[in-house]
Amino acid sequence: MEESPTKADGGGADVSPPFERIVADYGPLITRIAASYEADPGLREDLTQQILLAVWQALPSYRADASLKTFIAKVAQNRSISFVTKQVRQPPVAELPEKLEADDPNPEESAIAASDRRLLLDATRRLPLPQRQVIILVLEGFSYPEISEMLDIAPNALALRLSRAKAALKSMLEHSQ
Amino acid sequence: MSDFDLERLGDVWRQQLDPAEMERLQRTAAMVSRRARLANIVDVGAAVIVSGVVILLVSKNPTIGTFLMGAAAIVVLLYSNLRQRRLRQVELRGLTGGTEEMLNQSIERVEATRKRNWFGVIMLGPAFAVGMLFASFVAPDSGEQYLPAMIADSGPRSLVLTIAIFALLAAFFLLIRSIRSAGRELGRLITLRDAYRREDQISRGE
Repeated sequence: MEESPTKADGGGADVSPPFERIVADYGPLITRIAASYEADPGLREDLTQQILLAVWQALPSYRADASLKTFIAKVAQNRSISFVTKQVRQPPVAELPEKLEADDPNPEESAIAASDRRLLLDATRRLPLPQRQVIILVLEGFSYPEISEMLDIAPNALALRLSRAKAALKSMLEHSQ
Repeated sequence: MSDFDLERLGDVWRQQLDPAEMERLQRTAAMVSRRARLANIVDVGAAVIVSGVVILLVSKNPTIGTFLMGAAAIVVLLYSNLRQRRLRQVELRGLTGGTEEMLNQSIERVEATRKRNWFGVIMLGPAFAVGMLFASFVAPDSGEQYLPAMIADSGPRSLVLTIAIFALLAAFFLLIRSIRSAGRELGRLITLRDAYRREDQISRGE
């Protein structure tokens, strides 16, 4: 993922690419994080907008001491957590099936993958927030030192939290079979 | 999904968005950045307009009273802008910092909102009186052509009274509603912070 040293549209830092590029590169990451915190499609759209706004506002403070992906994931997670604490829980609205690639050569495989993805998403949403945060970052492909730094916890504490999160996720996935 | 392998689950998790969904996201992002830029312009524009109006009113009626009131209005405007800026910086630190730090900041923010709203409830009446005082300083003869007719005719008088009472009651209920909603949010934030602290204690083997 190339990062050109141009001025951010969001206003200030010289180290971040334009906002449109950021959305093109990290939009899927933002969408997945929003989906793992909010099941209701309407509220998820609100959350996605809030994350995008938060990224736009936070970009000038990005100083390239961590990767841009780490920075965006941190902002997205924190905004998602503050979003869910603001919500008075409503009964979740029936989830629409995850969209498939229109031009996928193998629709059957895609359907299985989409179904797996939906199961994983549902199970992740049922995890307690501290464990969910860790699992999402692992699933997003962040390294343990990166996660440790992002969450500001010691590597040992991270390992223990992750181990409990994995056990909880495994149990949820088994029960959802 | 029978086997449990985080790497494989990661591959499932990171499936790309379909092009239509990606296009929708980019449209949303463009709208968000446009609105954010517009909000910045409106902020500056509103400050300039309010200052202009205050200066105009003072220059039309250049007495010590109007000058002091005008200066006070501009000081309040500047203070409010600086405060907003500071709050945005605090919010930004929360977004880019650790989660527990963000929760602590949110708890402080919600507690401050509750206190401010309680203060608002208490000060609603006095603030209304100060507003009237300001109006009488800035434009002492405004509305005098309507007042005698209003006093003589009970219809418009009771209408104005009803609107004023309705506005005060609406402000009162909005503040009370906001206090209750802040209370609920505070409860959720404290529960969540406790969950993080418990998680830390378990991780440290306490």
